[in-house]
Amino acid sequence: MSYSTFNQTVSNPLLEPMFFGNSVNVARYDQQKHAVFEKLIEKQLSFFWRPEEIDVSRDRVDFQSLTDSEKHIFISNLKYQTLLDSVQGRSPNIALLPIVSIPELETWIETWSFSETIHSRSYTHILRNLFTDPSEVFEDIVINTEIQKRATDISRYYDDLIFYTQLWQTHGEGDVEVLGEKHSVTLRELKKKLFLCINSVNALEAVRFYVSFACTFAFAERDLMEGNSKIIRLIARDENLHLSSTQQIINLWQYGHDDPEMREIAEELREDALEIFMSAVEQEKKWAHYLFQHGSMIGLNEEILCQYVEYIANMRMQAIGFDAPFKQRSNPLPWMNKYLVSDNVQVAPQEAEISSYLVGQIDNEVSAADLGGFEL
Amino acid sequence: MATTFKVIVNGQHQLAVDPSQGTLLEAIEAAGIESHFHCRNGFCGACRTVLLEGQVSYINEPLAFIRPGDCLPCCCVPASDLNIEHR
Repeated sequence: MSYSTFNQTVSNPLLEPMFFGNSVNVARYDQQKHAVFEKLIEKQLSFFWRPEEIDVSRDRVDFQSLTDSEKHIFISNLKYQTLLDSVQGRSPNIALLPIVSIPELETWIETWSFSETIHSRSYTHILRNLFTDPSEVFEDIVINTEIQKRATDISRYYDDLIFYTQLWQTHGEGDVEVLGEKHSVTLRELKKKLFLCINSVNALEAVRFYVSFACTFAFAERDLMEGNSKIIRLIARDENLHLSSTQQIINLWQYGHDDPEMREIAEELREDALEIFMSAVEQEKKWAHYLFQHGSMIGLNEEILCQYVEYIANMRMQAIGFDAPFKQRSNPLPWMNKYLVSDNVQVAPQEAEISSYLVGQIDNEVSAADLGGFEL
Repeated sequence: MATTFKVIVNGQHQLAVDPSQGTLLEAIEAAGIESHFHCRNGFCGACRTVLLEGQVSYINEPLAFIRPGDCLPCCCVPASDLNIEHR
């Protein structure tokens, strides 16, 4: 089934599944199968920000005063986040847009990926301020073995789905030989790859960012690298919203509110989904070990950071129907929360009180009491 | 006189909550119980709480998926007496 940029088959988007139905033709939002995705779009747009709005110039002075082990922690985290957002800035578009079947989800995927590209640009903004030439930092992302290990796990589910979707869209179902290798393509197998991919993205948004978020906010607790912390708060707010969307997709499948075959697959691959999540948690703990190998920083060490990963993982896994696998039920880093509250986010210095752009807002609420003072 | 509802948290704390005085999460915090939250805006799902008995009403429409038997205290108030697990 080849992809068409304007599918001329007459279809009712209200009856289409989220993925692998008829490709979207008219981008219409007057009727919606899963209205939550448009609400996510509106929320994401209200969160709009640009890295250049945040002044990071003081961070350069702060950075010089950090110890070597702290510099290692700070820069390594930025490299890891750059990797995550490099993947997320393109992959939802490339992997999911060719197979999406409802307009509100299609637009959400585009909005989501776009916001990740803002994150990528903000890492350059931060690094350009710290180093006259940040090339060394960026170049290391591809060759650093600790980052490579994570990159492999993050991208493989996407790559697998993209490759098989291409085979399916050019050859249809059946066996196909590419470069001497035989591939068996069925729609059912493709849907399984989609399920695993969404679970892998969900784990990424759910836990993979939080080790570096914790380090950033631990610096901010000491009044260090505050420009960077402001940017990371905005990123954390966005990531929480993205997470909400992958949780929605997984739950809609599990509860049979969408494609009935995806519900079967969700049950069939439950253990695989669990495995994806648990291995993301393990990798994050190893990342914490790598960060602190030359020494810890004030307010944080490897042990407490691993406890925080477990705390977050419990919360995130329950949201998609797993039992909490870890004993860590209380928050070992309670100060983290104040950086994660969406309303506390400060955009520009003159906008300390507001967190989102509400452009052209007009209060249309008028009650009879408002007219009480008028007489004819 | 304002209506208050009886809210049992984690089987050990009993709160009297006036729905006009703020969210369920704020009531949990005011009682000094360890609270779990991130966004406080209904989209991240970090405050997810098991609703054992009773009904809540949402003052802001949540964007997070609410699984049957759960509620998001950051954006709801009690609509009846409640028994909840917030751990």
